[in-house]
Amino acid sequence: MNLLIRAAQIVDATSAHDGQRCDLLIENGLIRQIGTDIPAPDGTRVVEADNLHVSPGWIDMRVLAQDPGFEHKEDLTSVCRTATAGGFTDIVLLPNTQPVVDAKGPLGYVQRMSTGQPVRIHAMAAITKGAAGVDFTDMIDLHHAGAVAFSDGTHPLQNPDLLLKTLQYLQPIGGLLINQPEETTLTHYGQMHEGVQSTLLGMKGIPALAEEIMVERDLRLLAYVLEGDTQSTDAPMLHFSTLSSARSVDLIRQAKTQGLPVSCDVAVHQLVFNDTALASFDTNLKVRPPFRSAADVDALWAGLADGTIDAIVSDHTPQDAESKNLEFDMAEFGIIGLETVFAALMTHNRALPLSVLVDRLSTRPRQILRLPALRLAEGEPAMLTLFDPTQSWTYDKTLSKSHNSPFLGKTLTGRVVGTVVGTTFTV
Amino acid sequence: MAQSLSVRHLVGIKDLTEADIQLILETASQFKEVINRPIKKVPSLRDITIANVFFENSTRTRLSFELAEKRLSADVVNFSASGSSVKKGETLLDTVNNILAMKVDMVVMRHSSPGAPHYLTQHIKANVVNAGDGTHEHPTQALLDSFSIREKLGDVAGKRIAIIGDITHSRVALSNIFCLQKQGAEVMVCGPKTLIPKHMSALGIRVGHDVREALAWCDVANVLRIQLERQQIKYFPSLREYSLYYGISKQMLDELDRPIVLMHPGPINRGVELTSDAADSAHSIILDQVENGVAVRMAVLYLLAQL
Repeated sequence: MNLLIRAAQIVDATSAHDGQRCDLLIENGLIRQIGTDIPAPDGTRVVEADNLHVSPGWIDMRVLAQDPGFEHKEDLTSVCRTATAGGFTDIVLLPNTQPVVDAKGPLGYVQRMSTGQPVRIHAMAAITKGAAGVDFTDMIDLHHAGAVAFSDGTHPLQNPDLLLKTLQYLQPIGGLLINQPEETTLTHYGQMHEGVQSTLLGMKGIPALAEEIMVERDLRLLAYVLEGDTQSTDAPMLHFSTLSSARSVDLIRQAKTQGLPVSCDVAVHQLVFNDTALASFDTNLKVRPPFRSAADVDALWAGLADGTIDAIVSDHTPQDAESKNLEFDMAEFGIIGLETVFAALMTHNRALPLSVLVDRLSTRPRQILRLPALRLAEGEPAMLTLFDPTQSWTYDKTLSKSHNSPFLGKTLTGRVVGTVVGTTFTV
Repeated sequence: MAQSLSVRHLVGIKDLTEADIQLILETASQFKEVINRPIKKVPSLRDITIANVFFENSTRTRLSFELAEKRLSADVVNFSASGSSVKKGETLLDTVNNILAMKVDMVVMRHSSPGAPHYLTQHIKANVVNAGDGTHEHPTQALLDSFSIREKLGDVAGKRIAIIGDITHSRVALSNIFCLQKQGAEVMVCGPKTLIPKHMSALGIRVGHDVREALAWCDVANVLRIQLERQQIKYFPSLREYSLYYGISKQMLDELDRPIVLMHPGPINRGVELTSDAADSAHSIILDQVENGVAVRMAVLYLLAQL
């Protein structure tokens, strides 16, 4: 089936039509025509909506699918419908399933389950077997089998020698290492950001230092790997996932100024909440890294604005009621976020233009992951997200199998209208 | 003075107004008189059933609550985690709901998780009294400490109270700080830097690391236990070194230029934070604290039952 999108404002800095209100005709998975008043061919579905916007399809670089292993929390079908509802045409899965994606077998399972889904699934492979931080996986093999990046995901890589050797080993094949920076010996039994609030609540803190010290260390290791190299590298070799502290943003800003091939992302909920929210002991606000101070949140927005932060992720982490409806320190970490990334950004937006948000949701993450660029131009593949940045709506139900969202029941601004993934339309 | 509390539950001192604190302490004075009569019992809570639900070990707090409840003529049931369904994996909410299904009006709970009583108040109808939630609050202990200071020194306002020892793992430090501050006292915490939360001074208190300086500064020294069982990682080298540099002896108290009051929430590690001669000296009001605990808990239960 074909699709005609009527009078949508184009948000794509790489398109000649950027900022214009155009019709787009989608045929056989391609953008056939962009123009005004395009007549609808017979049998073509037409999409029209107030204040309709269209951009290159969004990609979420950090999603925990829980499948295989924890299908009662989420599975590959439920995560895809949830991603679609959130406007994503592509998602990148963390390797932290049971078994861990550390060999071609589990990678193949994820790839097989991806066919027929309304979202393109990309898989990270683990750096170490079982993401246990000890023995390397067969990384070149996994790279050729389609792993889009290497990461131990929710298990921050602790051993500096492993990190160094991974960077060295991946460099010739242009591989990407993704690390969530946390020195875990500094965060034992920690529940929330270490600060005045954790002191008032009598809870063991997770100091920002634990993140910053790892960012510093990893940057130093990356610089060491590149010392004496004559070939310059443009694509990032090291990507920090889910930054939360102001100092981490500063460190990466400096590293980028020095020309280090590094990139980073922020989880959308870090842009919304700070640690004072935890006074309610709401376990749906228990995340890792934890919500930090208001000053840290300011720094994350500033990093997003000036391009230090390259991508916005959901860090979608489905947890069932049995893991969340508990005493705070016994509850699991994580929030489901796929459906509310855009609405959370628009509701709490600090004057970032749509073009910047789309860049961080689509263009930059695709560059980091070495995926083909998307462009809204005739003849290009149709991978699109349709949205209305000003519409209010109430997030009263989720398509995820889990319900651990602090946004459930809240009225938000900015609504996803649908996605186009080749010949699949979810509008 | 206020006639009733502004809260339905006693989850923490944080939620109380100064008027609430005064009301509890005044009411406790009356109950202290009651428990010193030959007939120590009043019928105030007849037909009220109270469950003491203890997910962590406690001897004196549980006993003190139980006595307070019995002196008020309440019906009392006790639940403790050892040998209970908790070990079979039952959740807190299921455990408490099972107890409530047997028609219980109030729950007194001790739990290792900060916020556990707060969580309970959101899910059950019964009044909840926090008997200690991990390293967060232990409101009745703070109230009985204030009651004891008032009894000894006449007033809490304007007094200097030093809380000395393992602040990080203490269940009584925070409640005491909030309670004393609300009544206009000055507070200092003193101990090894590793046993004091990093952001403690932001609560508007003094932070010190020299026990002699703390003793010279204060009117009241509230000495805390080293919570070895709650230290999952190493915070200091040895008990020997701790007692040498942070332990308090009678000699140290005698050398001060004015007498101070010595308190301890118990149980004492004799020879660690306090030498025996200090614990048993005239400075000490440790056993008064225990007696006052019953009166203060009677006041809390009585006032909550009136709402």
